[in-house]
Amino acid sequence: MGLQVMSEVTQGIAKVTLIGEVDSASAVIFKDEVDKVALQSPKEIVFFMKDLNFMSSAGLRVIVFAKQKLGSEVPIYIVNPQEGIIDTLQKTGLHHSVFIVDSYPVTG
Amino acid sequence: MKSRTFPATVESLAIIREYLTEFSAAAGLDKKQTYNLCLAVDEVVTNIFLYGYGKSGRKGVVEIYTEMDENQIKITVEDDSPPYDPTKQKLPDEEDLKKPLEERPIGGLGLFLTISNVDDFKYEYVNERNRNIFIVKRSSSE
Repeated sequence: MGLQVMSEVTQGIAKVTLIGEVDSASAVIFKDEVDKVALQSPKEIVFFMKDLNFMSSAGLRVIVFAKQKLGSEVPIYIVNPQEGIIDTLQKTGLHHSVFIVDSYPVTG
Repeated sequence: MKSRTFPATVESLAIIREYLTEFSAAAGLDKKQTYNLCLAVDEVVTNIFLYGYGKSGRKGVVEIYTEMDENQIKITVEDDSPPYDPTKQKLPDEEDLKKPLEERPIGGLGLFLTISNVDDFKYEYVNERNRNIFIVKRSSSE
């Protein structure tokens, strides 16, 4: 299935959309996109994951990398991840350090 | 028992997940069990590709055996890279998993996901081959 990643940075908000599957073969594409948006020093980073069907620990490493690269003051939002990915984020404790939300901008 | 051989390269990962998904459907596993099994196997196979064969520069294959009975399914992954027992590695503990991301090492979560995503995981080294065994209970047997 592969992985497609699109990104944009507008008004200091980096938006990264992932479609497909992140594994050790495709994680480099994800990481390259994080590297790219990090150059613009965003104040928030948002990963849209509705159409991401699979994420291995290679993808988790990119999220950890993003946090370490951008700094603890830059919040990470993960929007609408599928059940398996939520489960992985919870099992590994990453959900303590990111915001898992149904939509972005966050409402309510 | 059926088996299929895959080249030891990360390009095989998606094909292996597809193969396991088809087998899981035939065994009646639900979506969550299927996802968890795919993730568990993906993590171990990735280690075999990147470190088992990758570090030694050898080309190789993994052979994946699938079998089921009325209670469980069993996936066995065999390879002939240097011996590596995932069950002997240090896994992150509860305290590690609570650490903020800024304080975490970048790696170390893969084997943790393997062990926590299946009902049983075993390792054997037999006839100079690594054998990683994944067991998932079939829902109807619970």
